[in-house]
Amino acid sequence: MVKKRASIGRQKIPIAKIPKKNHLQVTFSKRRSGLFKKASELCTLCGVEIAIIVFSPAEKVFSFGHPEVESILDRYLTRNPPPESTAHQLIEAHRTANVREFNIHLTQILNQLEAEKKRGEALDQIRKSNQRQFWWEAPFNQLGLHELEQLRASMEELKKNVVKQANKILIGSTTNSSQFLAVNGIGSSADLFENKHAEFNASSTMPNVYNFGYGNGLF
Amino acid sequence: MTRKKVKLAYITNDSSRKATFKKRKKGLLKKVSELSTLCDIKTCAIIYSPYDTQPEVWPSPMEVQNIIAKFKMMPEMDQSKKMVNQESFLRQRIAKSEEQLKKQQRDNREKEMTQVMYRSLVGEGLHNLNIVDLNDLGWVIDKSIKEIDEKIKSLLEQQAVPPPPPPPPAAAAPAPQVVTMTSHASRTTKQDMFNDEAAVRNTITDLATDSSQNQQWLMDLLKSNDNMCFGRNDDMLPYSLHTNNFWSNFPFP
Repeated sequence: MVKKRASIGRQKIPIAKIPKKNHLQVTFSKRRSGLFKKASELCTLCGVEIAIIVFSPAEKVFSFGHPEVESILDRYLTRNPPPESTAHQLIEAHRTANVREFNIHLTQILNQLEAEKKRGEALDQIRKSNQRQFWWEAPFNQLGLHELEQLRASMEELKKNVVKQANKILIGSTTNSSQFLAVNGIGSSADLFENKHAEFNASSTMPNVYNFGYGNGLF
Repeated sequence: MTRKKVKLAYITNDSSRKATFKKRKKGLLKKVSELSTLCDIKTCAIIYSPYDTQPEVWPSPMEVQNIIAKFKMMPEMDQSKKMVNQESFLRQRIAKSEEQLKKQQRDNREKEMTQVMYRSLVGEGLHNLNIVDLNDLGWVIDKSIKEIDEKIKSLLEQQAVPPPPPPPPAAAAPAPQVVTMTSHASRTTKQDMFNDEAAVRNTITDLATDSSQNQQWLMDLLKSNDNMCFGRNDDMLPYSLHTNNFWSNFPFP
């Protein structure tokens, strides 16, 4: 399973060249992004025009400009006042509306992301507490050979039942389910996983071959 | 610093807007300066505001000229490749955040279905699951089996070197270990089971059980579907390692 190591959190660092190269590059990446974000906010909040040029450690150049990098640079170099044509103002108004929309959208996504992260943490907690109680929920690295073989056998059985259940749903189960139960060691428990709440799809035209294409859910 | 949530829109109140501008401009230039020092790179900023006829620049007019010149000397493609305005910058951030969201959702789904898998292993029925759930559940099971196989393989490779353990029923030698396990087993906390050395457990299970016995346990387990209450009553689980009953079923000498 994917396990994310807890990060170190916010640290106070001295304002001097960062000694380690990869730290430096990560810092550059993050801070550059944060810088542009702050610049963008300043433009929106206070209605100002900004250009920022940043040369990366790898000598690539990043730039942010509102309304445009080029126009700000030209304006600065030529000391010309900005053009105020109606066309220009129209473009600006359109841009501002877009930016507003994007900001709303972004906020939405960030909120969702926050919620999903919290959900992930809750799920981790449950898993942790279960692992303390049941040995078979332990990470595989902690299990012995015999336990692993045991567990594997259980999982194979479960997989078969999952396939059966899936077939049941896809094909529908007006008739008794025995025709789908292969005799493969589960015993005579024909009512084992009987679907009492069968979703019978009368109009299903799916073929009998169940396709485990993992594209239906999130996988 | 006050942590009020600011609405990201043009501040209509004139004095408030001016005050915000002063503060944020100062903070912004500080950030530019820090970035420049921390990463030992060249940066510059130009700010046009209604509060000043002249643009405010950082670090200095001379340095700004140099940097602009250096910028303009680069090929057009390199200049524009990483050039953004508000719109494009926001689009980039949206795309990145959407990616992160999707990944987080996928991870959460995997965690969720893993729990369903473990609950199903101890008897909870599959009838509550729709076709999408079953699909994902199958995926998680396959993944787990694959990981188990890898682990088994590596354990077998380790075991290949030392000689195989003595066959059951064993002589007096293993008995002390058995006694230790039983005394552990009589405790009600599961924590102990978990903390025990896998090796010791392994020895016990190797000595005391054979695979068909375990399959029988599992079949009983899978059969008693509706009566299984996952996690609510430890006594109902066949893997009740904490009760002595478990041990009494094994052919101890």
